[in-house]
Amino acid sequence: MAWKIFLFLLLSFVSVAGIAFPIVENPTHWYEFPLIKGLEQNAKIIFFHVPTAWLTVVAFLMSTIFSIRYLARKNLNDDAKSYAAAQLGIIFCILATITGAVWAKFAWGSYWSWDPRQTSIFALLLIYGAWFALRSSIESEEKRATLSAVYSIIAFLTVPFFIFIMPRIMKGLHPGSADDTNAGPIVNFKMNGNMQLIFFLSLTAFTILYFWMWNLGYKSLIFKDKINKIYTKG
Amino acid sequence: MESLYQFLQNNAIYIVMIIVLIVWTGIFFYLFNLDKRIKNVEKEFKNSKDWQ
Repeated sequence: MAWKIFLFLLLSFVSVAGIAFPIVENPTHWYEFPLIKGLEQNAKIIFFHVPTAWLTVVAFLMSTIFSIRYLARKNLNDDAKSYAAAQLGIIFCILATITGAVWAKFAWGSYWSWDPRQTSIFALLLIYGAWFALRSSIESEEKRATLSAVYSIIAFLTVPFFIFIMPRIMKGLHPGSADDTNAGPIVNFKMNGNMQLIFFLSLTAFTILYFWMWNLGYKSLIFKDKINKIYTKG
Repeated sequence: MESLYQFLQNNAIYIVMIIVLIVWTGIFFYLFNLDKRIKNVEKEFKNSKDWQ
């Protein structure tokens, strides 16, 4: 109970601070954010767009962990947990893509320009989209769980490359690309302490929110299975 | 002194902030109620003998 109130207040604070705190050239007050060249006023997206991309990674990682657990223990509850995590993962992946595209319209001039970052997240969406197609095409529960667990493990192998490595070694428009001289590694030294604090508070709040949503998601999937079993038994 | 209305008219970002807060409050209470309902289902399951 207490953590829910904590989450509510934390994400409210992040929303207030992330949206309303002004970006100025030379911050003198604790609530002012520094002007980052190349990002300017658009920099505020970092408090909302980066956490969604971060949750994509967390969710797909949890999905893979529970896929491995399913293969080891053959417990269908683990499959439900893996499935619920991947559902959230794809939702946050789409959110990251959309928020990024809206931001790109004003930072780069067009919604979509096949930047390495955009291409890699698109590939990721396709890979995980195929996972849901695979799941919906198999009727037997055990078979579906086993096959999708194997696919999920293989799919996750691509995540570090698509999210962390490929967009950083290729030239592109996204902050953090190989030829990026303006924004560069933003989190490390372009932010001031207070901006970093709010950024990490935002990551924390979104992570707690993810685990809450995941908990509700897999519980409802598990209950649905139990109810189905009770009815088919009786 | 300018009124609150005028202040908001000149600083539209605070309107965005208020709207985001309202949306977040709505989502939060939706999740909160869903959590309560799922816990009730869980309790009922644990009391029934069908729960394995």
